Amino acid sequence: MTCWFLATLIALLALVPGARSEELAAGISRDKIEINSRFTGTQVAIFGSVEPAIGEVVQGDRSRDIVVVVRSDMLSRAVVRRKEPLGPVWVNREMLAFESVPEFYFVASSRPLAEVAEPSVLQQFQLGVAQVDTGPGFGAGRKAVEFREAFLASRQAQQLYSQHEGAVTFLSPTLFRTTLALPPNVPAGNLKVSVYAFKDGRITSSSAMTLFIDKTGIERALSEFSVREPLLYGLSALLVAVAAGLVAAAVFRDRS
Amino acid sequence: MEIYLPIAEMPVNVLLIVGLGAAVGFLSGMFGVGGGFILTPFLMFWGIPPAVAVATQSPQIVASSVSGVVTHWRKGNVDFKMAGVLLTGGLAGSVIGIHLFNALRAAGQEDLFISLAYVIFLGSVGGLMLWESVHAVRQSAGSAPSSRRTAGAHHWVHGLPLKVRFHRSKLYISAIPPLLLGLLIGVLSVVMGVGGGFILVPAMIYLLRMPTSVVVGTSLFQVVFIGAFSTLLHAVTNQSVDAILAGLLIAGGVVGAQFGVRFGERLRSDWMRLCLAALLLMICVRLGINLVWPPGNPFSVSVEALL
Repeated sequence: MTCWFLATLIALLALVPGARSEELAAGISRDKIEINSRFTGTQVAIFGSVEPAIGEVVQGDRSRDIVVVVRSDMLSRAVVRRKEPLGPVWVNREMLAFESVPEFYFVASSRPLAEVAEPSVLQQFQLGVAQVDTGPGFGAGRKAVEFREAFLASRQAQQLYSQHEGAVTFLSPTLFRTTLALPPNVPAGNLKVSVYAFKDGRITSSSAMTLFIDKTGIERALSEFSVREPLLYGLSALLVAVAAGLVAAAVFRDRS
Repeated sequence: MEIYLPIAEMPVNVLLIVGLGAAVGFLSGMFGVGGGFILTPFLMFWGIPPAVAVATQSPQIVASSVSGVVTHWRKGNVDFKMAGVLLTGGLAGSVIGIHLFNALRAAGQEDLFISLAYVIFLGSVGGLMLWESVHAVRQSAGSAPSSRRTAGAHHWVHGLPLKVRFHRSKLYISAIPPLLLGLLIGVLSVVMGVGGGFILVPAMIYLLRMPTSVVVGTSLFQVVFIGAFSTLLHAVTNQSVDAILAGLLIAGGVVGAQFGVRFGERLRSDWMRLCLAALLLMICVRLGINLVWPPGNPFSVSVEALL
């Protein structure tokens, strides 16, 4: 019985190389970013190799299309309001809330996204700023589309959402890399890095990693203090304020 | 030189923020206003999230007011009795203000209300002050200065009961007007997120007829308490006070306030009122234009973290 099982297993394994599909391996140059008092944004290299299936002949300068997506785990609620004239003054009239929007979104691709895959695929995997999932709670009307576009434009203006088509470069037909530029206002928290390999508009393999962004030193101590002991934090801020005021008044006393 | 702010989660230029703190501190020491109505829009302009900007200005206001009030106190320019009456009214007013603010926020119109309130208060107060102070400046430049206090000595304010003697202010008036004034300031400081000095100062000069020199010190004393209350409220409810940003503003603010007090002393009181009126009107016009001018982008986005 055992012999028969082993024999089957060996036979199966022998078949595998012939059917072996492509292999995607990806990495990031740093998996932890520390935000200290001198943080003004940083760059992370995302790279990898994609080996075509055995027996497959690579045509052109690259074996696959690569799309790299970086999204924050943290979700926020965004409220978009539109001003309209009411008599002489401009007033916020209509509003629309997006219940769960990612705080950070970055996408880079080896070719324009529209050429990489069909819109339905891009939508399914949220590839492209226009495809970012903003959560439930808005309809499909013209108003909803306008408000969503306004939201995406505002995030892009703040560098929190970005799209870089053609920014994934191939060093050889199988080696690729791209640069993730983290803006100074990147939120602390985890970023999920996903790499997708496309062939003929379909995802053939993918790889996921996590990039940790954390405050260190005094930045971390202060933000933790403010959340854990809010009253004490407020009182300390007051104490410093009052002390600074008294010191200044005392220092300048002699000069008056 | 850039430094990263832990709560605002962004870097800022150190010299820029210290300079801003110093400029606002100067105005604070000179006029007795907290300066929040100037500081908040500037911070937001540089990309500080609105919640952090509103919350973080309060410790700065406390620091520059303490710096200024100690110096005024030494010169005998603080009427503690008057400040106590104003604060009693203010406490009651802030409770009313919290209810009013929540009602406005539920209607989604707090921005409009705040802007309109600013324009109306700044415009009317600034306009009246400008008219009066230009008159006073011209009068004293032309002929012998006529005493302002005899001109309107028998105001309706002086006919009310519950009279109290305020020695420092050289006043013997009813406690009701300062109580009501404190109440109004309390409501406004909660709803508009300001210390209310810019309304308090003119009201003390024109309604209560206090001497201008005492007004500034007394207003600053009152602003210290409003700022302290507001700091604690924001720290506990929103956790949005940024200690590093506050530290930079404070460093500039306390020094600026010292220069402001000294400069304000050298300024004649009618000129001081004229300068304050000009400042109020400038801010009023800026806010008014914002309200009326068609916005470049009609959309505004506010993002709040999900916990």
